[in-house]
Amino acid sequence: MSLRRKTDRTRKPSTAWWNWLPIIPFLVITLGIMVLPLAFMLEGSFQSKEGFFTLENYLSMTAPVYTQSFRNSILLSGITAILGTILGTTVGYFVYRLRSSRARELVVTLCDVTSNFSGAPLAFAFIVILGSNGVVTLALSNYLGWKIYPTFSIYSFWGLVLAYTYFQLPLMVLLVLPAVAGLKQEWREAALSLGADARSYWRYIGLPILAPAILANLLLLFANAFGAYATAYTLTGSRFNLVTLQLGSLLTGEVLRDPGAGDAMGILTLLLMGMTILLYQLASRRARRWRE
Amino acid sequence: MKQRNLLGPASIVLFLVYMFLPILATYVFSIAVRWDRSILPEGLTLDWYRTAFQDRWFLIVFRHSITISAASVLVSTLLVVPTAYWVHLRLPRARPLLNLITTLPFAIPAVVLALGLIKLYGQGPLQLARTPPMLVLAYVIFTLPFMYRPVASSLEAIDIRRLTEASQSLGASWVRTLVEVIFPNILPGILSGGLLVFATIFGEFTLATLLVGARYKTFPMQLVYYTRRDGRIASAYSVISFTVAWATSLIILWITTWGTRRSSGRRSPVGRAGGGAPAGGKA
Amino acid sequence: MSYLELESVAKSYGAIEAVRNFNLSVEKGEFVSLLGPSGCGKTTTLRMIAGFEQPDHGLVRLAGEDITAVPPHQRGMGMVFQAYALFPNMTAWGNVAFGLRVSKSSQEVIEGRTEELLELVGLQDAGGKYPAELSGGQQQRVALARALAIEPKVLLLDEPLSALDAVVRVSLRQEIRRIQTQLGITTVYVTHDQEEALSISDRVVVMRQAEIEQIGTPIEIYTSPRTHFVATFIGTTTQFKGLLEDRTNGCVRFEDQRITVSPDLPSEFQNGDRVVVFVRPEAIEVARPGENVEGENQLTARLEAVTLLGPVIRLSLKHGEFGLLADVNTNERSRFNRGEEVLISFPAEACRVLKEDES
Repeated sequence: MSLRRKTDRTRKPSTAWWNWLPIIPFLVITLGIMVLPLAFMLEGSFQSKEGFFTLENYLSMTAPVYTQSFRNSILLSGITAILGTILGTTVGYFVYRLRSSRARELVVTLCDVTSNFSGAPLAFAFIVILGSNGVVTLALSNYLGWKIYPTFSIYSFWGLVLAYTYFQLPLMVLLVLPAVAGLKQEWREAALSLGADARSYWRYIGLPILAPAILANLLLLFANAFGAYATAYTLTGSRFNLVTLQLGSLLTGEVLRDPGAGDAMGILTLLLMGMTILLYQLASRRARRWRE
Repeated sequence: MKQRNLLGPASIVLFLVYMFLPILATYVFSIAVRWDRSILPEGLTLDWYRTAFQDRWFLIVFRHSITISAASVLVSTLLVVPTAYWVHLRLPRARPLLNLITTLPFAIPAVVLALGLIKLYGQGPLQLARTPPMLVLAYVIFTLPFMYRPVASSLEAIDIRRLTEASQSLGASWVRTLVEVIFPNILPGILSGGLLVFATIFGEFTLATLLVGARYKTFPMQLVYYTRRDGRIASAYSVISFTVAWATSLIILWITTWGTRRSSGRRSPVGRAGGGAPAGGKA
Repeated sequence: MSYLELESVAKSYGAIEAVRNFNLSVEKGEFVSLLGPSGCGKTTTLRMIAGFEQPDHGLVRLAGEDITAVPPHQRGMGMVFQAYALFPNMTAWGNVAFGLRVSKSSQEVIEGRTEELLELVGLQDAGGKYPAELSGGQQQRVALARALAIEPKVLLLDEPLSALDAVVRVSLRQEIRRIQTQLGITTVYVTHDQEEALSISDRVVVMRQAEIEQIGTPIEIYTSPRTHFVATFIGTTTQFKGLLEDRTNGCVRFEDQRITVSPDLPSEFQNGDRVVVFVRPEAIEVARPGENVEGENQLTARLEAVTLLGPVIRLSLKHGEFGLLADVNTNERSRFNRGEEVLISFPAEACRVLKEDES
């Protein structure tokens, strides 16, 4: 009690140092499990095998095997993020326009459920339908005479694009719905009464208002795909050269390379992800500004 | 006019087909005698489930996954809920820090987190990094946003400061306030956060395989193993894994709708999308 | 032939009839208000004029031309919405210029006209601001300027003031009327606020339950309500329910009294009808006992309550169990004390007689 009175007399009690005590366990765990490992990784990325400071690890990133993995990862994430954004926004818009609110809620629930279908089960499902003996593969060749193999393979880049888009799409629909719902009916009507047709409405009002939210969601999808591992691993093992697969095979010891390069690769990945998330935050802040 | 009317439903139907074809195919494959030579499966059977269940590994990996998921939910709840409560009540200055910390995991791919943990804790005879407890802690960090967001937003929704003051002004003790006033109000947030964490971890493959690997096999690890050995058993595993996931997410949806309906009286058709949306990383 | 005509227009949403058999002619340059409680169909009517809703039945004509099937963006009707509906991604200037830009006006026209309109609504200095940086009243001025910028054939306003606070509401409604008169623009104005409708309109259309109750000038609506609903919805009245005793001489039996009303009631009345006599509070004179009073009808009453309304005070009176309301000038307040017996009187021409409401 006396302690309490003292704080009241000094300043705001909320700023007293012992108020930080209860959250120390939380801070210790985040420090130990998240911050320190990454800090050591940063240190390791600047260390030679003998323990001296070096930039060698980063310079080695210019080797074709690494540049290719970054290029593949960025392409895969970029393409699926863009596909997910375009298709997801379109679907989200139509879902929003659905007359019956029950139908709308149903689609939202389905998106919620299917967004859980990812990783290994998803990869396996795509093998079932689009593997070399998959049901869709067979249907296409039997009924349409269109043999998609070997031009297409679910184990190839475009196969990955198809599988990644699968988990990007429902996520985008869920993300874009609140933004589309934020478009007021009156804006559309005001534009129409001022002589704008539907196209001018979208060009000058609808899309510009949605743009920050769409951009934010695009960035989130990019990060989502870039960090993904299980889907690609299940489909291609470590054969396909992606950043996460490279790092994974480094960890499981399938390939022996020097740990410094792994650290440098990890740090570069973190930088890329960090920047994406930062831009996402900026864009979504802007999106919120217009929603009020 | 007519054309536009068709475009909407058509794209929604196409979307639903794309979303359901793989799931449906997996379910059918798991009960098909054989489905790699013809368009329709050659007869139906439950043999693959029987084979899967009879394998002694099935129970082991299932138990492992449940144990790890439940332990992570428990640790996460005990760590996040009191912290969030305290910060909202007494330490508003720390809120930006907490927001930052709980957003960071979005930017850290599971592979990178595993790399860092093995780098720091993988040395020495103990090999701490490669133990189940370390996996649990990694999961707690990995799912931090899923746990913190719903709890924080339910704390914000009820203005706990005023509720605490109101309760105390009516003579309730600190503990009583917490148990009878605060906790029931944020329970939907805790439940949906916890279930989301559970569903995420139950299907998580990356951290599990990279950290502990064969030392402590989990359900998704066994599933990936079977995708290479026996597709029919893999499909049975897939179905079980997905069923657990969607059952959990339906419960979450039910809880959040129930929670928002109770606390604000209105019901948003897109309710959850804002809160736990960026469900990434686990793919 | 009038400028804007609605001819037996009807609209339903499923089983709910929103507008039924609506007929209205608006002259060029006229200011017409649609007045009624919420859900009476006034907004639906406005939206059918704008083209946002298609009537199930009937025609909308503009300058003699049937525009029922013309899509909204080709109708040339400026609309002002209740919630401002400014485009949040454009400045005030951009909002006003929008209609001109989509109609592909020349840059000079766009700039000149936008400046001119911002000045007209008194916001020449706020052109660079975004809607979020403007107050509610300022936003609604921008919305007005935006609707006027396209030189609309008809200006439509859907409860434009109901989101604003009282002071802004009064000043802005006067400004709307000033601008409307200045530009001579045909205007249809939807409101549920009777004071608003009466104060700025040339004519008022009172609506109830999807139908028109009465169309008339504000003063007609106020002094000669044609239906029970209009009489009670607009302003305050005292209702004397009684039996019509003499149609020709204007005599109504009310309890144990006789009320004299204007003679020669229309032929739809017959002696013996149940009727209601409506009397506005300002028509009732109140005198203290012993004072001389004029007016055909005189009653004694007890003063129950005195309420200050501003320029007038409202006296709540009881004649037996029957309650009456009377307004007197506020500077006479010292003459009246609660609980006193007073004498009230009102002239025959202040009585509005209607048949007792069937509904």
